[in-house]
Amino acid sequence: MTGNLSLDFVKQLFFIMQDHHLGYIYKGIFTQEVTDTILSLTENKLEKQEESSKLKKRVYNILVEALQNVTRHQASNIKPNPQLDSLFLIQKMNNRYVITTGNIAPNKNIPYLQTLIDKINALSKDELKEYYKTVLEEGSISDKGGAGLGLIDIARKAGNKLIYKFVPLNDELSYFYLCTVPVLEDDVPKGSVGISEFHFVEKIHEILNRENLSIINNGPFNQESLLILLNSLEGQMVGSISYKKKVFYIVVEMLQNIIKHGYIPNDYDQHVVPGIFLLGFTDNFYRILTGNFIENEQLVSLKKKIDKVNELTKEEIDEYYNESLFNFEGSNSKKTGLGMIDIRLKSGFPVQYDILPINNHYSFLSLQSLITVE
Amino acid sequence: MLEPIKIPAQEDTPSVVLDKENQLFEIGHRSLPENAIAFYEPIINWLTEYSKNPLPKTVFNFKLEYFNTASAKQLAKVLLLLQELAKNNDVLIRWHYLKDDTDMYASGVRFSKLLKIPFEFIEM
Repeated sequence: MTGNLSLDFVKQLFFIMQDHHLGYIYKGIFTQEVTDTILSLTENKLEKQEESSKLKKRVYNILVEALQNVTRHQASNIKPNPQLDSLFLIQKMNNRYVITTGNIAPNKNIPYLQTLIDKINALSKDELKEYYKTVLEEGSISDKGGAGLGLIDIARKAGNKLIYKFVPLNDELSYFYLCTVPVLEDDVPKGSVGISEFHFVEKIHEILNRENLSIINNGPFNQESLLILLNSLEGQMVGSISYKKKVFYIVVEMLQNIIKHGYIPNDYDQHVVPGIFLLGFTDNFYRILTGNFIENEQLVSLKKKIDKVNELTKEEIDEYYNESLFNFEGSNSKKTGLGMIDIRLKSGFPVQYDILPINNHYSFLSLQSLITVE
Repeated sequence: MLEPIKIPAQEDTPSVVLDKENQLFEIGHRSLPENAIAFYEPIINWLTEYSKNPLPKTVFNFKLEYFNTASAKQLAKVLLLLQELAKNNDVLIRWHYLKDDTDMYASGVRFSKLLKIPFEFIEM
């Protein structure tokens, strides 16, 4: 039972992110605002997880450095090309944070970078400290000498090896993935994450490029995480105030829908609702997407509701909104009925959906709302 | 005398002042609570009580910057109570909206068209 288009990638991304404990992904232009938002989002998560303050500080410091690195090396936005956008991902696995960044690198710089990272990885902690000083001093003499200082600093702060991969894009450029897993001194690294594990990052990256997605937040959702997400969007969205407001309205309704109606399978934390939020672009539209589980018995009424709001003309939706606004029947139930109408009204476009069965009991619902680029 | 209600604004709930003695009736800031029915219930109860023995003139100020659809329904309930009150009493709705906020202005116009109470639109 599918809707009017395939939103299969939403489900695909949700499960990849679940499998790899990915919380958050950003792909796009890195500005000071974007960096600040990512930092405060992560800080917020770190606070919640009650990590040791030492690890928190370490993760935070590396984030700052890694984000600066990505910002410094991003493609100049004279000719914006989403394929060349920088990338940021954060995972939490077994009490470890895995920070992955991606940016383009000129092919001619690759041998130098490779040699540098391999050298960094071969050095002991004290040797690395010495090396950092040497490069820092060289850097103060010539511009070129300081190259790679960021990488050395990340390795120093992480207390762990750097994992990297170059993927050729064309004759001139490659894509450079860099991954760090910060550890504390007393936490002996259990072998580094193998390069083969970059596979899923590349898979995600490919979907992000193909679907032109910029921000992905892997729930779980409750009112608290919704508010954090709303605050973060403010700093990350590029565009006019009226566009940002529209997004705000639509995001609130879509996510509160998930919080109210989303299904929580048995093998998930029962206190929060699993789901995914995505923001992206198509040629002339901004796209807002969500994905969540839904009980199969709710599908018929949901489909009916969406199909109905989609069929109506603008005047009819307006009328339908007024009707629902003053309809308090069953107001004690969780349904307001107004959310979907409002999403359709604010967007001006049909609400697109795709329902993918998981089993006899529940399915995965993907929704998309479009906003015209003004 | 009806005890006043004074609720400061939170990140997702509005500021509320319902004070008969000082003739202050106001809902402001943002409203997107998880459970709008529960949040607005005391407000609706207060207004129901107030309607039994109201002031000769009630000026109710809406100074909202944003509300979600769940709140819209509760605001509709509040406005219906005020419409009821307006049958035998003087009631004025002052709908404030931020400059250039066409959404909030349109929401006020929508309510004013659906209800039989005087609305005054004021740019904040």
